[in-house]
Amino acid sequence: MNESYKIISSSILFWFSQKKWFVYSILVSIFLLNLNTPIGLSVPAYHSLIILVLVFMLVTFEPIPFPAIALLTLVLQVILEVAPPDKVASSFMNDAVLFVMGSLMFAIAIVHQGLDIRLARFIVFIFGKSKRMFLAGLMSISAILSSFLGEHTVIAIMLPIGLSVIKNIDTQKTDGKNAVLITLFSIAYGTIIGSIGTPSGGARNVIMINYLQEFSNVHIDYWKWMKHAYPILIIQLAVAYFVLQFTFPSSLKNIKMRGFKKKVENKSIKKDINHLFSCLIIIGIIASWFAFNDIYGLGIIALGGALVFMIFGMISWEEINKNTNWGVILLFAATISLGFQINETGASSWLVIKFNELLNSLPSNSINVSWSIMAILSGLTANFFTSSATVSLIGPMAIELHPTDISFALSSAIASGFSFLTVISSPTAMIIYSTGLVSTKIFFRVGILMFIISILILYLMSQFYWVTL
Amino acid sequence: MKILIAIGGKEFSKPTLDLGMKIANSFKSSTTIAYVGKKISQFSEKDVSVVHQNLDDRQLYRPGIRTLEWAYDFLISKNYIQETNTNKFDDYLLVDEENSRMKVLLKEQHSDNIDLIMRTGEIIEQLKDEVEVNKHDITIIGGGGNKGIHNKLIQFIDSDVFVVKNYSVNKKYKILLPVNNSKGSDKAIDTAINFAKSYKLKVEIVAVYEDKKSHQKTEKLLSKTKGKFLKNKISATTKILDGSTVNAIVNHAKDDSIVILGVSPKNPIMKYFFGSKPISIAQKCNCPVLITK
Repeated sequence: MNESYKIISSSILFWFSQKKWFVYSILVSIFLLNLNTPIGLSVPAYHSLIILVLVFMLVTFEPIPFPAIALLTLVLQVILEVAPPDKVASSFMNDAVLFVMGSLMFAIAIVHQGLDIRLARFIVFIFGKSKRMFLAGLMSISAILSSFLGEHTVIAIMLPIGLSVIKNIDTQKTDGKNAVLITLFSIAYGTIIGSIGTPSGGARNVIMINYLQEFSNVHIDYWKWMKHAYPILIIQLAVAYFVLQFTFPSSLKNIKMRGFKKKVENKSIKKDINHLFSCLIIIGIIASWFAFNDIYGLGIIALGGALVFMIFGMISWEEINKNTNWGVILLFAATISLGFQINETGASSWLVIKFNELLNSLPSNSINVSWSIMAILSGLTANFFTSSATVSLIGPMAIELHPTDISFALSSAIASGFSFLTVISSPTAMIIYSTGLVSTKIFFRVGILMFIISILILYLMSQFYWVTL
Repeated sequence: MKILIAIGGKEFSKPTLDLGMKIANSFKSSTTIAYVGKKISQFSEKDVSVVHQNLDDRQLYRPGIRTLEWAYDFLISKNYIQETNTNKFDDYLLVDEENSRMKVLLKEQHSDNIDLIMRTGEIIEQLKDEVEVNKHDITIIGGGGNKGIHNKLIQFIDSDVFVVKNYSVNKKYKILLPVNNSKGSDKAIDTAINFAKSYKLKVEIVAVYEDKKSHQKTEKLLSKTKGKFLKNKISATTKILDGSTVNAIVNHAKDDSIVILGVSPKNPIMKYFFGSKPISIAQKCNCPVLITK
């Protein structure tokens, strides 16, 4: 056989084996485009839903880079006449996108300051009396910080602390392995749970606030979100502590707290002024989110935080540029733009009508059933698709279900934060997985219990607590 | 000659590393020991990278380094490299190279011939890239894990692929060389001669005939191949097997065989969707299999 033919066909095959999900996604889209437009749906609305399916498949299987998915989403919106170019461009940038951009930059600036040793000293000082208290402290501090600064910032600061604690544990023995897992999961669960607490805890929260404002003219400020979400966070933390103790029983004998304390105390911290200034900036930004988010928006304030760090030379632009995930920012901007078109074209209303028709066919139908399906669907989709992208695409439907009742929108956003099942669902899960100490199976085994309990807590709180607010 | 040894979990990689280093030593080849870390979702890749930099700054091992440290210790314990006071693994430097490749540099280089590298991403893509960029001649991989990965590696990697399955240091191995009239088979014969010379291994040349008409042709092929070995002063026996090619070879191969065979001349598209005889043999044999290209 001709050698050049072999080389070319082998290259094409390799491309196909790596990009097969891109080919499948395109084929599915072409197939859907060739079907008749469903009754009750306009052509642009139908096309927006086809793009939604395409984006779901591409983001889930990642056959092409995220920036390419983002650009494809924008191009297709115009080519398939979902919206004119100007409208696509204007929906591409809003406060939620600025928040994603600002919070990623802000996170890099904070992590760059090396605050972990100082934080470790603080945790040891407050919770260092016993090993179990120390783990509870790791979890609580992770949750509190994550609720304000976001998961990716906190896991980057807390993981080195966790790994220092478990550095010399022999994982060949069950007790040692469980000690390692309970330490890592305490940080991971604290960070994941914390991210539901405030709007700045995760981009999905800001995206939902934006959608509520745009589609239902309902405004939720920083404090109002906290009043709804923080009690859930506290209950979840307590539950998670016991779930971990039950799942990974360990005497914790392997954890050498004395060594860790000594190491932390002996470590010299040279950047005193930098650390003090960093803390002041962080406190200033959180306070601004509370006080001025109505005026300036969460995104602009987050960008302001990164700006201050840069102006005072505490981080260089090169460092921020190198470590900022521009692909994710572009992708969120594109999916939010698509979310807007899904709502504008009436596709979300059509989906909700179909959803209600489906519910009516069930033997028992009530608002509770539709809430449960929506919350579970949001939670599950987020676990296989990542949370912020889920909210940007499912959010319009959740709001459309009950436009005047914020409990649906809030529940959808909060349930999307229950990324306990898969390692791809959140940066925290992926970072913990990337240590090589936690397998996908273990993550799922513990996570399924936490996921079910979390949905139950959310349901009970929305039924009995939110109505009192 | 350049050899790439891909390692994964510590215990599972012992035979791969051991056999790989034996081959590297006997051919005096330069060797790259590669660990391919888990693929990171694009959502989190920058976050993971920041965390890993943080771990480096705090002298905490980033994932994968422990496996390379284990590999380094294993090489020392087996005297493949000599440890001195200055080339200890504790004092390593991780150099970020292009395309998710990181090289471990020790304070004093242990040997010009051995590189320890770490890559992150999809295993086939990473090993293919490593072979293409650094022009490795043989890629040595473990026999455990996903069979689909072996299939793809054999198909897409541009080097000979050695699948180390059920290897034991204590066994006295012999080469089992299935031959036919293909170009791939000629390459396999050359490789088998080199291996047999270097290791002083016995060789058994086999050919499969499926009908009586081809019997004479097969005998001729076997004696011609045997002649090549005798010319190189290597003793070899021959045998004709019958039945389907894959089953006959798989059934004939023993635990102490190292099967060396050429790549299939089949159309790559057909190979991808329907497999090939060498790929099936590599999957079914319970002994090390080297597929030459």
